[in-house]
Amino acid sequence: MSALITVDGVTFRYTKQGNPAAPALQDVSLEFREGEFAVILGANGSGKTTLARHLNGLLLPDSGRVLVGRLDTRERANLGLIRQRVGMVFQHPEDQIVATTVEEDVAFGPENIALPPAEIRKRVDAAIAAVGLEAHRGRPPHLLSAGQMQRLALAGVLAMRPRCVVFDEATTMLDPAGRRMALELMAELRSEGMAVMFVTHNMQEVALADRAVVLSAGRVVFDGTPRDLFRHPGLESWGLELPPVTALARRLQRFFPGVDEGVLSIEELLARLPAPTLKCPSAPGSAVSPRGDSRAVIEVQGLEHTYMAGTPLAHQALSGVDLQVTPGRAHALVGVTGSGKSTLLQHLNGLLRPQKGSVRVGELHTEDPALPTRAVTRLAGLVMQNPEMQFFEQYVGDEVAYGPRQIGIDEPIAGRVRWAMELVGLDFESFKDRFTYALSGGEKRKVALASILALKTGILLLDEPTAGLDPHSRKEILGRLKHLEDEGMVMVLSTHQMEDVADLAEDVTAFRKGRSAFDGPASEVFWQFDALREIGLEAPVAAQTAARLVELGWPVAKGVINAGQLERAIEACLEKQP
Amino acid sequence: MSQFEFLRSIPFGQYLPTASPLHQLDPRARILAYTALILALTFSVHIEGVALGLAVALIGLWLGRIPLRYALRGLVTPLPFLLILAVMQVFLHTGPAGETALFTVWLVKITPSDLMAGAILMVRFTGLILTIGLATYTISNSEMTQGLNVLFRPLAGIGIPAQDLVMMAQVTLRFLPMLAQSAERIAKAQASRGADWDSRKGNLLARMRQVTPVIVPLFLSSLHRAENMALAMDARAYGSAPERTSLVALRFGWSDALLLGFALIAGAGVLFI
Repeated sequence: MSALITVDGVTFRYTKQGNPAAPALQDVSLEFREGEFAVILGANGSGKTTLARHLNGLLLPDSGRVLVGRLDTRERANLGLIRQRVGMVFQHPEDQIVATTVEEDVAFGPENIALPPAEIRKRVDAAIAAVGLEAHRGRPPHLLSAGQMQRLALAGVLAMRPRCVVFDEATTMLDPAGRRMALELMAELRSEGMAVMFVTHNMQEVALADRAVVLSAGRVVFDGTPRDLFRHPGLESWGLELPPVTALARRLQRFFPGVDEGVLSIEELLARLPAPTLKCPSAPGSAVSPRGDSRAVIEVQGLEHTYMAGTPLAHQALSGVDLQVTPGRAHALVGVTGSGKSTLLQHLNGLLRPQKGSVRVGELHTEDPALPTRAVTRLAGLVMQNPEMQFFEQYVGDEVAYGPRQIGIDEPIAGRVRWAMELVGLDFESFKDRFTYALSGGEKRKVALASILALKTGILLLDEPTAGLDPHSRKEILGRLKHLEDEGMVMVLSTHQMEDVADLAEDVTAFRKGRSAFDGPASEVFWQFDALREIGLEAPVAAQTAARLVELGWPVAKGVINAGQLERAIEACLEKQP
Repeated sequence: MSQFEFLRSIPFGQYLPTASPLHQLDPRARILAYTALILALTFSVHIEGVALGLAVALIGLWLGRIPLRYALRGLVTPLPFLLILAVMQVFLHTGPAGETALFTVWLVKITPSDLMAGAILMVRFTGLILTIGLATYTISNSEMTQGLNVLFRPLAGIGIPAQDLVMMAQVTLRFLPMLAQSAERIAKAQASRGADWDSRKGNLLARMRQVTPVIVPLFLSSLHRAENMALAMDARAYGSAPERTSLVALRFGWSDALLLGFALIAGAGVLFI
């Protein structure tokens, strides 16, 4: 097969105030072929976005060259053709939408290359159908959900009929169902010879690719199959981790020699689990921990909410939500994007008030319009989605101090800021005078968390706390949250990372189209495999594995949802052998 | 209603794709027709004229299948100003000499022609606001872009880059709801951290104090987004062909001519009745 894109000895430096910084790419040589599915990996700052932007001439190499087919990206006259051939979907879909209706936005690219109207119409219709947005073709883009916007961004690229699509961390905000749709679509496109490249942190996506390219400090340090990558000793030092399935397989290897460490998908793992060879005593009851009967600290009943109510653009986000949060039990809200999780969280700290139904937070009934929002925010702190987009102070210390200054506290503010920063693992002295915009992704998320913790609320509400973080930062944030939970913080979090929930939350409420579909202890909810699939979610891999073991006749208790529990269950069985 | 729904309070500039017969027509016909109506309403001097103009605007809303209540909401904000203007008009109007006064307020004699002047002002502005609203509900940005592109094409002859200017206008329009949403998010983030957003009815100074902290992050995030958008436009080959084409081929048909003809006749009626 011929090379679609050739990267030949490329070195690139960003210039900072006239001075060249350390090279972002250093002597990178790669070749991408037709029909290939490659992932470009690396920790934050490793140069993967810089590389991606070289592929369609958004950035031009300082030395070396990039060829798309035979077209050199440094020739200005080639750029029109290059950008038709190499499409790019960016991280924040709302920033790449130019027009004011879905259809017109998809047409933007074809219009730029001066196609005749009939041809544009044909391509627009095909692209909209490919991503399943037919019902929304006339809507203004800012009223689409995050997932729909992502599809729109993809449609805009597909309408150019590219030979290659580069996703620059574009699937980070997708829920399992959305991601599955994108991947299926990709498979279809690849069968027609299109190459697909993912710049990603998501290790599950890596497992699906043919090829993984790892960058570290601007150099290619690995180029091979995902299977080989996961066996590579350097994995962790590059800021990467194993996908949950492979990590679990590795932990189970000591019990089941038949399960090898190269397992990439849950199907592969389940197929390799053996039937029990030894007779084990029956399961020691259920692992389900009972819900305490203490009074709920947050109670929501029959909550409904409509955005833009009373206009032709009205959109019902919540249509009947019940929720009970028990103190001492972290509560997770799960569901696909647009199912109402964020809207519910904003009701729990009083930003939104019930249009119908009731919300009680502690002793406060938020349906009372006379109740000041500040009374609720003092009780329940909300860390919003992508909180670093809302930073408004220049220095880290001021950002964290904003909340305590607003509400007025009876201790020195500096002390409170220090306490909050240290709680999330940021050293007060070395971080307080740093610029907020110059922090890394993980550090920003910690500052956002600290700025809410500084309010010393008893309840912490988190909207997608780990979204968009690289594996290393994600692990750190999860560790901090776990610590807070152990300290007695009441925690409600929304996420579509089921593996995080399995480690963190005791209770789960699953959402579907603005309704709370079902709820219960995590150990029960995650064993409702069909119900979860129906609302577009996947149970954690440990739960799926445990269920398969039970089927095979292993005496594993129902309700196992994470790797630790699964290991203990199998150990318990094996230990009782004479 | 939530104090954070900023988007809700800007009904203007919201395209409503109701797929009405009006939406199907050539954008040039719509642009010219609305312009004719707006000009006629502005310069008409008789009550019959402005009333006819208002009626035509209402017919337009009906043809465009725009819910009347929604359209009327656009009147709510300017209404107090309109009333004040109308009252001033009544008091300051000087009618023809020798007119009999209907009644006297303080020392000012109010004549029938004074009242008429106030009424004309009210009807004129109501008609204008509804017509401008109608234009924004029924002309999408890209239709406006294309329409203006074609209508302004002669300007390129005298060295004005009409295409780029029109594109700039379109991106600005796309940014407006995005700005409202960003502002909403920032305000919510600040309220989550104890900022006081409850006192809605505060005086101007209190309002300013409330809004100021939102401006800087809003500005920063907008710059950031503008940068991203420029990059995305580049990646989608903007500027690679000397002349862009467009999804909708403009075809000026009989129905378009009909609309334009109707608008011109109505405009003439408004002016000369």
